[in-house]
Amino acid sequence: MTTPFSPPLYMQRYQFVIDYVKTYRPKKVIDFGCAGCCLLKKLKFHRNGIQLLVGVDINSVVLLKRMHTLAPLVSDYLQPSDGPLTIELYQGSVTEREPCTRGFDLLTCVELIEHLELAEVERFTEVVFGYMAPGAVIVTTPNAEFNPLLPGLRGFRNYDHKFEWTRAEFQTWANRVCQEYGYSVHFTGVGEAVGHWRDVGFCTQIAVFQRINQAVSNAELLEPSVYRLVYKVVYPSLSDNNIYQRTLVNEVLYEAQHLRQEWLRKMNMDSNNNAHFYAPPLMDVFHHGVEVDARYWQPVYQQGGTVCVPLARVWSSPRVRALCGSLQRLREELVVDARVRMSADGTVLNLPVYDEEEEAEEEKDEEENVKTVSGIGNNMEEDWDRDLGSYESV
Amino acid sequence: MDPKRPPYPGPPGVTRIPWMQSVEDQGQPPDQPPLGRARGLVLPKDEPLPGRGRALGVPGEMPVRFGRGITQPVSEPSVGIPRGVRLPIEEGAFGRGFLLPTPEPTVGMGRGTAVGPVPTLAIEKSDVKGKMPDLQTELAPAIAKVEAPGPGSSLVSMFRGLGIEPGKTWGRGSTPIGRGAAGDMGADVQPKPAIVGAAALTPQREETRLEESLSFLGRGFVGVGRAALPHMSVSRGPIGPVSPIPVPFSLPSATSVSEEAPIPPGTPPKVEVKIETVKEPLQKMGTKGSPVSIGSNYIPICCKNDAVFQYHVTFNPNVESLGMRFGMMKEHRPTTGEVVAFDGSILYLPKRLEEVVHLKAERKTDNQEIDIKIQLTKILPPSSDLCIPFYNVVLRRVMKLLGLKLVGRNHYDPNAVVILGKHRLQVWPGYSTSIKHTDGGLYLVVDVSHKVLRNDSVLDVMNLIYQGSRESFQDECTKEFVGSIVITRYNNRTYRIDDIEWSKSPKDTFTLADGTVTTFVDYYRKNYGITIKELDQPLLIHRPKERSKPGGKVITGEILLLPELSFMTGIPEKMRKDFKAMKDLTMHINVGAEQHTQSLKQLLHNINSNNEAVSELARWGLSISQEILVTQGRTLPSETICLHSASFVTSPSVDWSREVVRDPSISTVPLNCWAVFYPRRATDQAEELVSTFTRVAGPMGIRIERPIRVELRDDRTETFVKSIHSQLTSEPRVQLVVCIMTGNRDDLYSAIKKLCCIQSPVPSQAINVRTISQPQKLRSVAQKILLQINCKLGGELWTVNVPLKYLMVIGVDVHHDVSKKSRSVMGFVASLNSMLTKWYSRVTFQMPHEEIINGFRVCLLAALQKYYEVNHAFPEKIVIYRDGVSDGQLKTVELYEIPQVLKCFETIPNYEPKLAFIVVQKRISTTLYSYGSDHFGTPSPGTVLDHTVTNRDWVDFYLMAHSIRQGCGLPTHYIAVYNTANLTPDHLQRLTFKMCHLYWNWPGTIRVPAPCKYAHKLAFLSGQYLHSEPAIQLSEKLFFL
Repeated sequence: MTTPFSPPLYMQRYQFVIDYVKTYRPKKVIDFGCAGCCLLKKLKFHRNGIQLLVGVDINSVVLLKRMHTLAPLVSDYLQPSDGPLTIELYQGSVTEREPCTRGFDLLTCVELIEHLELAEVERFTEVVFGYMAPGAVIVTTPNAEFNPLLPGLRGFRNYDHKFEWTRAEFQTWANRVCQEYGYSVHFTGVGEAVGHWRDVGFCTQIAVFQRINQAVSNAELLEPSVYRLVYKVVYPSLSDNNIYQRTLVNEVLYEAQHLRQEWLRKMNMDSNNNAHFYAPPLMDVFHHGVEVDARYWQPVYQQGGTVCVPLARVWSSPRVRALCGSLQRLREELVVDARVRMSADGTVLNLPVYDEEEEAEEEKDEEENVKTVSGIGNNMEEDWDRDLGSYESV
Repeated sequence: MDPKRPPYPGPPGVTRIPWMQSVEDQGQPPDQPPLGRARGLVLPKDEPLPGRGRALGVPGEMPVRFGRGITQPVSEPSVGIPRGVRLPIEEGAFGRGFLLPTPEPTVGMGRGTAVGPVPTLAIEKSDVKGKMPDLQTELAPAIAKVEAPGPGSSLVSMFRGLGIEPGKTWGRGSTPIGRGAAGDMGADVQPKPAIVGAAALTPQREETRLEESLSFLGRGFVGVGRAALPHMSVSRGPIGPVSPIPVPFSLPSATSVSEEAPIPPGTPPKVEVKIETVKEPLQKMGTKGSPVSIGSNYIPICCKNDAVFQYHVTFNPNVESLGMRFGMMKEHRPTTGEVVAFDGSILYLPKRLEEVVHLKAERKTDNQEIDIKIQLTKILPPSSDLCIPFYNVVLRRVMKLLGLKLVGRNHYDPNAVVILGKHRLQVWPGYSTSIKHTDGGLYLVVDVSHKVLRNDSVLDVMNLIYQGSRESFQDECTKEFVGSIVITRYNNRTYRIDDIEWSKSPKDTFTLADGTVTTFVDYYRKNYGITIKELDQPLLIHRPKERSKPGGKVITGEILLLPELSFMTGIPEKMRKDFKAMKDLTMHINVGAEQHTQSLKQLLHNINSNNEAVSELARWGLSISQEILVTQGRTLPSETICLHSASFVTSPSVDWSREVVRDPSISTVPLNCWAVFYPRRATDQAEELVSTFTRVAGPMGIRIERPIRVELRDDRTETFVKSIHSQLTSEPRVQLVVCIMTGNRDDLYSAIKKLCCIQSPVPSQAINVRTISQPQKLRSVAQKILLQINCKLGGELWTVNVPLKYLMVIGVDVHHDVSKKSRSVMGFVASLNSMLTKWYSRVTFQMPHEEIINGFRVCLLAALQKYYEVNHAFPEKIVIYRDGVSDGQLKTVELYEIPQVLKCFETIPNYEPKLAFIVVQKRISTTLYSYGSDHFGTPSPGTVLDHTVTNRDWVDFYLMAHSIRQGCGLPTHYIAVYNTANLTPDHLQRLTFKMCHLYWNWPGTIRVPAPCKYAHKLAFLSGQYLHSEPAIQLSEKLFFL
């Protein structure tokens, strides 16, 4: 079956969820029937504040196969994100109650329910809306009324579909859910027919449920008791204090080091009147193009064997500033860190004027004993030619 | 057999090494066999060629077991049994060859040529006699049919054509049985597969010791491989009294053995299942030196399965789509089992199905019923090369299961990252792993790898460059980025930047696979939720190598990347020059042997304690040992360094820096007229240097006059160039130009070298003022510089004795420009005298993809000519050390370069030198450790390992010549691709070690043979700074040091 839609319908369904996440910014999202984890992988990029992303599927083989696509990328370590993110995958059934699954802000069921027997749909409904009671639920399912428009389609769209609902059937189910469990719903879809076929509705119908009673159910941070945890990964983020501290200190030291070098070079230049003094390649000397706020412009100076870099200068670096909202906060963060040497009043960073003496080729030790007796050595004269045989016709 | 400690075949002893016996001992005169083109292609009778020799070596357990399993009763009729033995036994080298007309002629089907060696026990002769009869009944004779090609036709190439295993040459003793790829043999050659050998591999009789049969088997090949006789001598006669006589014995059944030739009509349509046997190891072990315990980063892998079964899968009616084929096969997992490796038509299973299995599937698109026929085609030993690719897939999965991240080709551990905040970079520790089948069996080769990743995106760095130099911004960017590797923010892929597209920006559009057109900005926003901040950045271009995907889709074109979304990897160029920063970095990267083995053990522990990983491996019957390979290597004897009159044996640390400044060099060139150029700022240092020169010159035997001193008013490049030029013009006797430069200045250096190497050829020495600014070190610095100057002027420092007459040693290395824009440069250095102290050097430039060999011929001929001028004779033996050849290119070297080299000799009348062509590989993943009392350390200089971890297809060895101060023992890999010089493994190893002593810029041993290092230096100078060939006047001086 070729989809006459562009972008393809499945992409449009994912996009729908992504757009929802963008608008409503749920923190905890759970995807039922996540299978190949495609939606999760998309959401991991389009985070919009998601902190916990959970996928559930009954088939653990497919989870095991695809779980690594959810692992943090190298860049996630290079530039840790601001907000935390944990991704978990469970093997389990949507018809079973799992305490871990309660208290989510958004639950998605993309093309799931039509794979359930109707009896299972009942249990699913009870588990999802009654037990888990997430803040919002997105359910997508095929619209049977659209099927005649799909070229070459006989029967259901997929051999594993147990039913395909018309809009009326879907809405009946959804409205009953709302009544029973205290949700409101609105219907939409993706994949519109064109021209006079428009009134068959969307190819995929979507119901978006919102819980009416917004009282937050307490998140139960339990070990899963029914589901089986298949995969869990915590993304590096600046909300982890160690990572934050490390990132900040590194930026500060880098910036301070840079200011120190710039200053030393300037000193060197002044003391050397050679007009053609060679300046090393640019990568060495650079100036931040950022307009420095005059308030923070304080000179670097030398005190004995120490180059003093005012903290304010460091803070004016955009990278540092982005990490640390105020100079006061920066000072507090650095005071406790052993890697940074600060003046007593915490206004100046102290750096040594000279790098540790460069090690040159270490001179050989005197005691090194090399046999220098002439003549000893291979006491036997070797002749490989002879070894090689007599064909040498010389 | 304990796989951890591969058997070391007995203590090295000459008696056990057949080829160490002199010809006389063997009692057979070295007849020169009739040759088409002698030139040493012929194996002079009985000694196997070293290099083609066969190892006594390391049998490894699997061939035997496997072999035994398949041998069928000898009584079964066999294919291709000799019907007539046309055998002129009186011919020397041909002694025991057979020409066997085979039953059916197959045209153009190059197939494994059968070689059944004649029983030869090279071991104790008396023993041999006693055993001969047994063996004769046991072993099949050698059979091969080669229709004698017309005189002059290149048998060498023919033999190559006989390649048996894909990519393996016959002469190398690849397996005679079972596989066989159609080679590219000449039309007039119709080798027949006549098969034998299985029996030889199956020592069923207890009295035949495995080692013996193997070593003997090996010899059988020797004659074949290389002897380019018009009459093929296949199996080789034994040494000494044993006179083997091969009468066609009943062959072990050939049905179960290889027969890939089409089944002649009439035979039952039963497809024969081929059983791949394991080929014989080559003779490559030396004996010289003292045995030492050596560890290496090879981890034995145990294969529990008896075999892997290869099937051919056909779909009828044909199913084009690979995806559909996969899908259909997937539905039949109940039949095939869960463990499959399937590429669309070839299927590998660890289990045996019926010979032919028919399955049904329905094509979803049209409900057509498809018949899937799965036919057993081969039974492979579990260590077969064909299995290695999917074992490596399994391995990658295992690494992932351990939570390691794939970056490029290696896996890294994000949880053990070292952050160097000061330099805005991170060092990721990790592993490069692969499964290899070496002489010792199946191994997991693990190397500790570090990835340097930078916190900066390409855009960040671009901004810095822009702030520095707006005018030359684009040039600077090109310099900085082209050739570097970036990793993208939205996936873990790495790309090499090939160019920068300045005329495009993220606002431009591109076409997606489905045909939709989108801008880069939209694409990243939509797909990855990334908002591009800088809309005016240029784009980076990556041009993937053209390759075809399975399914025939050719990948081509460009990949455009956004600087903002690309992180830099690797050590920044600027940092490389920063001594201190590099120290910070190398501290983490250069791990010592102790740490190296710790990391390996950690990985092994992690694998073996991870149930999922273990079961993943077990699916194919693999299990990885917990232990690092420990075996026996040797430390080669110390060499004697000869100066002018002093000579001494090297110390264990192979360092003679003190001796060379205390005693006179072999020869020195008096410095009568030389000039020093320095900027005014460096006047004091220049003065100091000159006076120190005079003080230290005496002991080294150098006579030095006062130089012409030229003080420059500034240190601009033009100032230098102008003064040097006018000085050289006004005083043509100047022997040497010394320039004292301030700072690291590539431009100035380049200008000086261009002037002094091309325009006005004169040896030149550039000195950074910093190196002579520390008074306490000035003396030793001056000594070093003076030695270097002496070399550049044509002096000779030291040598070692190489007991080979009329030898020429050649070093070749190629310098590639990283940006690939300019041409590659080949440096060529050849020795001119028997002391190996006079060198002739040449450089050739070649366009990208142009074959190196064209320039090589020119250089070689010029070097031979020069050798003749010096010695009044041409060299009889030529040893070429060729650096910069990867494993994949070895075949090209053998099939293309070497014949060209040989052709080169033909241009000189009656000249047929012996040639050894040795490929030198520095960048390898093999690491050696010394091992003692349960502790790994660095091996001592001169450590050689020539078995177990070596390549089954070549005569090769690992030699660690240099002394290690920091980090791990990284040996250099030497592969004797060609060897008609009959140099034995011992000769090859020791000659190589000797050559590592002769690099005059370093009073100690170095990693590679000196001529390679010289060639490297020369190529680097020419490619990086001269951009042109240096003047021919300098070709006999080491001006490039």
